[in-house]
Amino acid sequence: MSETRQTTDDAQATADSELAGGASPGTDQPLEVTSGETRERTREEWVEHEFEGEAKLSVSDLDVYYGDDHALKSVSMEIPENSVTALIGPSGCGKSTFLRCLNRMNDRIKAASIDGSVRLEGEELYQDGVNLVELRKRVGMVFQSPNPFPKSIADNISYGPRKHGDLDTGLLANLLGRSDDDAVDELVERSLQQAALWDEVNDRLDDNALGLSGGQQQRLCIARALATDPEVLLMDEPASALDPIATSKIEDLVHDLAEEYTVVIVTHNMQQAARISDQTAVFLTGGELVEYGDTDQVFEDPQSQRVEDYISGKFG
Amino acid sequence: MNVLPNSDGAGLRAAARRGLRRGRDFVDETPPDALVTVTVAAVSLLAAFAGFLAVSSLTAIPFAVFLVATGYGWLRHQELTARVLTLTTTVSTILVLGLILVFIFAEAWPTVQYATVNVFGVPIPGLRLFIETRWSPVTPPIQYSLVPMIHGTVLVTIIATAVAAPLGVAAALFLSEIAPRTVRELVKPGVEILAGIPSIVYGFIGFTILSPWAADQFDIVGQGTYLFVGIVVGLMALPTVVSVAEDALNSVPESMKSGSLALGTTDWQTMTSITLPAAFSGVSAAVLLGVGRAIGETMAATVMLRGSPGLTKPLYNVFYGNDTLTSLIAANYGDADGLQLSALFVAGVILFVTVLFLSIGSQYIEARMRRKLGGAE
Amino acid sequence: MAGATDTALVSEDTSETEAVAAGAVGLAAVLFALSLASVFELVTITDPVAGVPMVALLGGLLVVLGFAVVTFGVGSRLGYVATDPRPTAGLLASGTFGLIWFVVGGLVASQTLGLGTAGWVVASLVTGGAAFAVSALPREDIGSTLPAGALAVFAGVVFLTGVIGPSWLWDLGWEQQASFNAEFTIPVLTAFCSLLVGWAAAKAYGGFGARGRHIGAYVLVYLNAISIIALLFLLVAFTVLKGLPGLFKGLAFGAGAGPEVTLVGVTFSLPVSWPFVMNGVALLNDVNGVLPAIVGTIWLVVGAVLFAVPLGIGAAVFITEYADRGRFTQVVEIATNGLWSTPSIVFGLFGLAFLVPRLGNQKSLLAGMLTLGFMLLPLVVITSRESMLAVPDEYRDASAALGVTKWQTVRSIVLPAALPGIVTGIILGVGRIAGETAPILLTMSGSVAPPGSQTVDVLGGFQLQYAPPFVTNPELMQATSALPYQLYSLITAGVGQSSNISAIDEFRWATALILLVVVLGFYAIGIATRYYFRSKLQHD
Repeated sequence: MSETRQTTDDAQATADSELAGGASPGTDQPLEVTSGETRERTREEWVEHEFEGEAKLSVSDLDVYYGDDHALKSVSMEIPENSVTALIGPSGCGKSTFLRCLNRMNDRIKAASIDGSVRLEGEELYQDGVNLVELRKRVGMVFQSPNPFPKSIADNISYGPRKHGDLDTGLLANLLGRSDDDAVDELVERSLQQAALWDEVNDRLDDNALGLSGGQQQRLCIARALATDPEVLLMDEPASALDPIATSKIEDLVHDLAEEYTVVIVTHNMQQAARISDQTAVFLTGGELVEYGDTDQVFEDPQSQRVEDYISGKFG
Repeated sequence: MNVLPNSDGAGLRAAARRGLRRGRDFVDETPPDALVTVTVAAVSLLAAFAGFLAVSSLTAIPFAVFLVATGYGWLRHQELTARVLTLTTTVSTILVLGLILVFIFAEAWPTVQYATVNVFGVPIPGLRLFIETRWSPVTPPIQYSLVPMIHGTVLVTIIATAVAAPLGVAAALFLSEIAPRTVRELVKPGVEILAGIPSIVYGFIGFTILSPWAADQFDIVGQGTYLFVGIVVGLMALPTVVSVAEDALNSVPESMKSGSLALGTTDWQTMTSITLPAAFSGVSAAVLLGVGRAIGETMAATVMLRGSPGLTKPLYNVFYGNDTLTSLIAANYGDADGLQLSALFVAGVILFVTVLFLSIGSQYIEARMRRKLGGAE
Repeated sequence: MAGATDTALVSEDTSETEAVAAGAVGLAAVLFALSLASVFELVTITDPVAGVPMVALLGGLLVVLGFAVVTFGVGSRLGYVATDPRPTAGLLASGTFGLIWFVVGGLVASQTLGLGTAGWVVASLVTGGAAFAVSALPREDIGSTLPAGALAVFAGVVFLTGVIGPSWLWDLGWEQQASFNAEFTIPVLTAFCSLLVGWAAAKAYGGFGARGRHIGAYVLVYLNAISIIALLFLLVAFTVLKGLPGLFKGLAFGAGAGPEVTLVGVTFSLPVSWPFVMNGVALLNDVNGVLPAIVGTIWLVVGAVLFAVPLGIGAAVFITEYADRGRFTQVVEIATNGLWSTPSIVFGLFGLAFLVPRLGNQKSLLAGMLTLGFMLLPLVVITSRESMLAVPDEYRDASAALGVTKWQTVRSIVLPAALPGIVTGIILGVGRIAGETAPILLTMSGSVAPPGSQTVDVLGGFQLQYAPPFVTNPELMQATSALPYQLYSLITAGVGQSSNISAIDEFRWATALILLVVVLGFYAIGIATRYYFRSKLQHD
């Protein structure tokens, strides 16, 4: 903590000189608590993030309205492949809304209207004829509070592939000798291993998943999402409802997942973001993406004064 | 609460002691004139009830005393009087169910006794009501068999359930999961209003339109078919099934549904694999409620059926409709007396008990569902 | 993974093959509508439509439809059409097809070919088993189209060749005779086949697989919802149309047109004359009416409400506010739910056994009121309890923290907050009991067609006396009529009893309509209040 403070203090001068609006909190009264509402204008270069390789997801000029409420304001960002991208910001800043736009789960909310473009490997998601089922197979999601189905642990894992028709364990398949029971067992073990849950539950795979602890339930949900073999994994504050031990397990897990998957994770815990992510996007009140870049750079040398205030805990 | 009593007897004694102590505390803490007022009110109400039961013309006197005592108590000791009054109303509510039980059972008893059969020397009351197949209250041999009416009720209920259950559950799925918001906001109250169409109106339409049409179409002698009574009763139960099942489907947490959709399943897969199974208890309670309605439905059956008790030939011939338990009562209470009237009460007992079991069953199922979903959140 | 497919994220524009499948769905819808029209006898099956007899048209369309769907399935199997089928159509579809073809095989063998029991059982098993196998074993695109399409083609050929022609008749040969004729059978079979093929075509349109099943199921669910709404709407509309002429017969406006009434000592003529609701039934009446039944219904409702509402709210207050949650409240809950589902005729029996002997040993208005009150009671308890439980505990705590006694809290905090829910529940309950016939049939039924002079006058009937029971009211103690009972007695009455009514049919429909208006009026008001308060709560 003290380290962060020091670096931000050092960076103060640079940040101040870049203020467009002229309001200069910080230097005179470093401990002044602001609401984050300054006249500072977001600069486009703050949200540009250079990286090697292709962008997995690219968002441009995304606006979201809930009725009259403008929840996301013209957000643009590119998310690189096989990395962890953290979205941080105070509550109500639109980071979860942004996340839910990436696999069109916002379509479930009837009052939401969405404007702009999101491309998955170059294919526009907001156009007619998009197969939502196919999209969500490729872009999986883990929710804020664990939501296992009231079924057995094994059934929770194999649910996605069975519904996609990749695995068939139905009565008819059994009768015809086409059952994929072995493949299911293998999938269940592999997914639970990946989610670091196998050792804890391998002796009770047929028990109801609702009997697991909160942390286990959340890892089950991660395993369930992994079982469908997605390319991108969206996580909406997956550890917010969990105790520190379960949280650290999930953090380790996220770190490992980045080797194979593109992970986008929403969190309100800045230490967590700093620990696990490769790049960080900071959303501030009003649904604005203020700064986006390499995690080290964002935390140690933020370009925006507001981001610095937020990171150093002056508001939020 | 987790301290278990050593034995039942000790537990009972402890409970009795607790009750006694509470009673004594109550007497000690309450001002004497309030106590007197409440006691006078209670005793006079009991007396009035006893007088009413005994068909006494003096019933009005204790009742007047009760009113006066309550009025005085209300002005002077409102807190206590209110408490006692609400307790009285609660007890009366339970009493109504108790009275219904006692009275229809008591009225049914003579026929049950009349229909006693000795099996290996053991008299079994009421058995003849179920092993004979003729209802013949006037021409000897006098028999009060309820088998034909039970047969009719079963047929009507099966047909009605076959109509109301699948259509109702599908419509509930539509309303809760599929329909656009505006459609749902229009249709849901509409369905609720339709649940209120009086059964005699359904019966009237069935009687004037459906029965003649069916008789003509299927070349039936006379009018009245279990098939169309069943369909009409099923339609009548439909709004109830839709409304209750929709509530159950709606109570499945949205997080569960989104969890399934986020895995890349279609809406239909989510409905059949997640929402319906999770709401299964509530949906089956809705169906049970519909079945209860169908069993107890009286007026449509009375006006659409022939009112001549007897089994159809063959038994699965649903194109003829004679009588159900309910229509038997409604059509015969007027000129029945003695054992025949008592036999109608037996029919009432059967209806009452069956539907009561369905009601308790659906309450049990719903309580289980609440526990299950409660664990999910 | 087995059978994993690569589906494009974005589907292309509607292809020609999709258009074919969509066309098949549309054709199935047309066929379904045509067959419904025939069932309701809007068209007869021998009528020519566009120069072709109806029956031939239906048969021909079925054949076309069947072939279209089968072609699509085969085309998909051979790879001409891009689809995403599963390895099998699934157990449910296979079982359904197996069952359908089992029945078809059995009927053809026993009825058309005249085989004996052994013969038709074998034939049934063969066709049913074959259909099951065809549907379960091959890939989904064959499995879900071939059995359905074949059935449609088969039915179409049967209609076209006249095996089931306009003069076809199937006597079931039962002791109590019944038979199926062509007028009924052909449209019903057509409707069934078009549903089945329509479902298969909808699946094909979705490219089979998860999406296909989704679309197939949605087509059926939408159809179900639309038909239920349409049917119930038709029911109400039909009653309104049939009832209107009788209801407004002789309606006149203008000063002095109506009957004289006395209010607060002033006698004046109503400016409107509405004979149906202002008259009774009499030989000399120009237009007969149901005034006694309307007044009877009003008094019934008033009496039941006066009896049940205080009792019900009191009980609800006790179990939510005073009683500890435990065995006792559980018993009350079970008792009220049990009472609520008790069949109305049982309440009638109870009234007959309990109330009638104790209230002057004859059917009476009071007995009817109390019986309906017993019916209303559980509903008042349930809804009051629910709305009192919905009042947040903070309100009670806040009030208790101010040192206010429990009853005062209940009276000034809980009851006002719960009032909207309670009122709504009462209105809905009143709607239910106002339409009940069975209980009053046994406890208060009066004459079939009461004249206007038999209108009850409860308020004017009270008399005081010096001997117990001090207050008497003969109006309460005699039988009277009510709308639902009036309708019932008009249906069942013999010719002699209603000979005073000339246009009996019109009179019945008008009675049904006014009953419907009264009851649905209560429901509409109750539901509207509920939605009003609910939306108000949401906005706060």
